Amino acid sequence: MTGYAGDTVASALYGAGVRIFGRSLKYHRPRGLYSMEGESANTFMSIDGIPNECAETTELRAGMAIAPQNVRGDPRRDRFGFLNAFDRLMPAGFYYHLFHRPQFLWPLFQSGLRRMAGTGVLDLQGDYGTGVRTERYLNADVVVVGGGPAGMAAALAAGESGLRVCLFERRRQLGGQMSWRVRDFEGEPLYRRAEALAARVRAAENVKVLTRSLATGVWGENLVTGFTVGTEDDPFRECHWECRARTVVVAAGCMDRPLVFNQNDRPGVMQVGTAWRLARTYGIRPGKSVAFSVADDLGLEAAIDLDDLGVRVRFIADARESGQQDRAVFQALSDRAIPFFPGCAVSRAVGRKRVRGCVLRSLKGRGSRRFHCDLLVANAGMQPRIGTLATANARLAYCAHTHGYQPTELPPGVFVAGSMTGLRDPRSIEASGRVAGYGAAVWCGDRAKSGARAAGRGPSLSPGRASRAAEAAVREAKALPGPPAGCGIIHAPAIGRGAKAFVDLDEDGTYKNVKESMARGLDVPELAKRFAGFGLGPGQYRVAGQNLAMIMADLRGDPVETAHATTVRPPLGAPSIATLAGPGHDVHKRTPLHAEQAARGAVFRRAGPWQRARHFGDDPSCRDEIRNVRTNVGILDSSPLGKFRIHGPDALKALQRVYISDMRKTRPGSCKYSAMCNDMGQLMDDGVVVNEGPDDYYFTTSSARAGATVEWFRFHTRHDGWDYNLVNLTDALGSLNIAGPNARRVLERVTGANVSNEAFPYLACRRITVGGGVEARCLRLGFVGELSFELHAPASCVPYLWDLLMEAGADFRVRPFGLEAQNCLRAEKGHVIIGTESEQRVTLTDIGMGWMWDRENTVSKKVGAPALRACERQPGRLKLVGLRVEEGAKAPRDGTLVVDGEKIVGYVCTTRSSETLGWQYGLALVHREHAFPGRRIHLCHEEKAGGRVTSTAFVISPHFYDPRGQRLRS
Amino acid sequence: MTFRLTCPVCGKRDVYEFTFGGQERGPRPEQDGLSAEEHFRWTQFRLIPNEPQEEWWYHGQGCGVWFKTTRDPGTNREVK
Ligand SMILES: [Zn+2]
Repeated sequence: MTGYAGDTVASALYGAGVRIFGRSLKYHRPRGLYSMEGESANTFMSIDGIPNECAETTELRAGMAIAPQNVRGDPRRDRFGFLNAFDRLMPAGFYYHLFHRPQFLWPLFQSGLRRMAGTGVLDLQGDYGTGVRTERYLNADVVVVGGGPAGMAAALAAGESGLRVCLFERRRQLGGQMSWRVRDFEGEPLYRRAEALAARVRAAENVKVLTRSLATGVWGENLVTGFTVGTEDDPFRECHWECRARTVVVAAGCMDRPLVFNQNDRPGVMQVGTAWRLARTYGIRPGKSVAFSVADDLGLEAAIDLDDLGVRVRFIADARESGQQDRAVFQALSDRAIPFFPGCAVSRAVGRKRVRGCVLRSLKGRGSRRFHCDLLVANAGMQPRIGTLATANARLAYCAHTHGYQPTELPPGVFVAGSMTGLRDPRSIEASGRVAGYGAAVWCGDRAKSGARAAGRGPSLSPGRASRAAEAAVREAKALPGPPAGCGIIHAPAIGRGAKAFVDLDEDGTYKNVKESMARGLDVPELAKRFAGFGLGPGQYRVAGQNLAMIMADLRGDPVETAHATTVRPPLGAPSIATLAGPGHDVHKRTPLHAEQAARGAVFRRAGPWQRARHFGDDPSCRDEIRNVRTNVGILDSSPLGKFRIHGPDALKALQRVYISDMRKTRPGSCKYSAMCNDMGQLMDDGVVVNEGPDDYYFTTSSARAGATVEWFRFHTRHDGWDYNLVNLTDALGSLNIAGPNARRVLERVTGANVSNEAFPYLACRRITVGGGVEARCLRLGFVGELSFELHAPASCVPYLWDLLMEAGADFRVRPFGLEAQNCLRAEKGHVIIGTESEQRVTLTDIGMGWMWDRENTVSKKVGAPALRACERQPGRLKLVGLRVEEGAKAPRDGTLVVDGEKIVGYVCTTRSSETLGWQYGLALVHREHAFPGRRIHLCHEEKAGGRVTSTAFVISPHFYDPRGQRLRS
Repeated sequence: MTFRLTCPVCGKRDVYEFTFGGQERGPRPEQDGLSAEEHFRWTQFRLIPNEPQEEWWYHGQGCGVWFKTTRDPGTNREVK
């Protein structure tokens, strides 16, 4: 297949003679090119392996692989086509009430349905992420949605006023429907007028024009989202936009309201714009012999234009009896010998795989007549594209004059213009755009006066001048023709028994289905939508919405003005999931020792925002790393540890509020270990606090909490007005932990400070000089259960300390260890990790750390204290215990359940087979009635092949290793 | 959902720069003689009014201040 530059996939296929583009969802009816704007799923295809790409809006590129979908074989001979004959058996809502009982069969039906009714197949091996997906965030004074004449006029007016304007246009070119209309207007063809306007818009310095860019919705406070489909010249494949706008001008235009008639989905039935654009935009003859059944002057203009192009127009039916306004068009019509039938509409399309003719009926009388044609252009007039307005929360109501939805109340800063307001005269349309553009300028100017505007970006047009220009634009618009009367036809005649008149093409929703929904009492569109799927397909509200509301009002016997349409929800078009997912940068932090660890074979993994060394070398069980710490000496990069300074007259009060212990007991030169709880008494964080001088403290938090600590302190002291400063030093300081029986001997080699057990005991904190010049805080802690020193030093100095220690420890065969080794070492010691051995249901007391709680202190109003008191004696709580798994029993895993008969009574948090201990240990949370040493408990293992086996374990103290803590004090 | 909030330090900013801190429900109650029920009422119970309420917000992606503002949850807009 070949195409031309500017072709879409659909226009190229049509040009190549393809008429059947796909199969419908439910009945597998052949479907053709109905719209050109992606308003139905008719032309969804698999393009370059990506399913559900809309052929109508996808631009043709060389080398594209295009395949039909939802068909078996060729769309022209679809194996499931026979479903069409079973329509009787597939009433509205058939997925729900036919297939949902019996329940056990549902999965079976569902998989069958997916195969039959599926929309495209995802190749799980396919590479869908190719190409750059990017996102941009803009601020603008005015966002204009729609690059037709009104949108362009609005953009120019606002731009002239000095405002920053951003214009979204879905098509590749500006001009809207004016860009393919050739009729003469004020001495030049309309498309020339559009080109001239477009040239001015593109030349305007402060108007950013985004073509191939659909605005997908207007959100709170005028945030406009949209996406741009990139061309080969763009640096991206798709770009997501979020544009914070002070004002929004909606000039989204109109689209055909489908005429609901029998067999109205046959290939060869299309919108006015489709036939017209095929001919004028793409230079393709849409058919040989065309019938028109329309209800708007634009339809008449299109018919005449096609006639001028040499397409044989069989007849033009106009559902309006009278009210055709456009004198010039009417004159042109009578100059030609085209049969014209006012007050008539097509009632049936003839032909199965493509249209071969149609039946024309009078809307009042009984007369009917059959015509041959190979193309049937049919609509019930035009309907405004209200999606953008609806997402902006504009109040909309049916307008009995234009017969479309019109805003009755616009949200602050939202303006509407153009043909969607019902205007048809090109001058009126442009004038309405100017009114909106200057209106937006006045709105922005008023804001400027009220001071809400950021400084230095004032409009060059003063508020006075903007409002004078706005008033002039309003006067000009008022002198021009207003909206002509629209056509309120609800459906074509003769769609009774046996007719298949589609209201929604995507979901195969017919007029009959609407009636079935009504018969079940689901008599408003919102209910019919859920029951029979109207408007749930890719076309959403756009094709079906207004017709559904009108038909239901009519069937209820209500006046059509009462027709409430279903809610329109964003996005108004579909960007690809990959675009929404974003560029996929892995944004992470590296510790100051990343390179040093990588050089020693570190295997990194993500831990919070950090990339941390999980283990070194290729043994994920870390046996050697663990043994080395227990018997010799190892070094851990602990830089992600949270490190803070708090100082000021009320610093102690703040510490007393958030820490559960008595923080008055911190002493210079020593570390106080404590924890933070939340209001439910759950453990949130633990670490040490060092008193470093009057009203000056240094403290550490767990790595995971470092980012939330400032927020936490300030939140829990927000009512108190205390005077303290909190400084996050986490990134400024690196830290490393040298641990193991030989730790002191290595440290001694790099510092002159006295690090003996007498001068520098367990839980002491000293400032020492290391390597002849680096001043470091040195903390003697014991998380891993061995003698260990933690050095905190400026991040830039930490690599030097690392090298120094590695060199000094070379004769001891010092080696680095990672997170997994640390995890095993601390678990053998019974030290908890928050979120691993603690969870929502357990308090500080439940995990055996209640000893920290300063129970007598109520004055500080400690966060969590009342909850700890309330839960203390509560029955049925989970408690943290140690487990010793029976020798030879099946080894549990992290997460294995603890059961008592059929009842789940807890689970294993962490379990490892320990070389140090010589047996498999575990930390588990179990119900308190099982939580005493010596208790025999049962572990339940799910088997891969199904079924369960149980094994036993004994409850013991969780301090498995060195329970008296002699090693870390040595 | 998207709206803007006025940080007392940074001015109007997008809501995704902020963390919600809940309704203003007065200072932390005195703990002397505080019953469990009173405590849980203060920490857990929330009104869901369809009218402007005082709320706490944290400008975490900005200056790091906790501030109070009055916002209508029905429209998501701050009210002056
Ligand atoms: Zn701020």
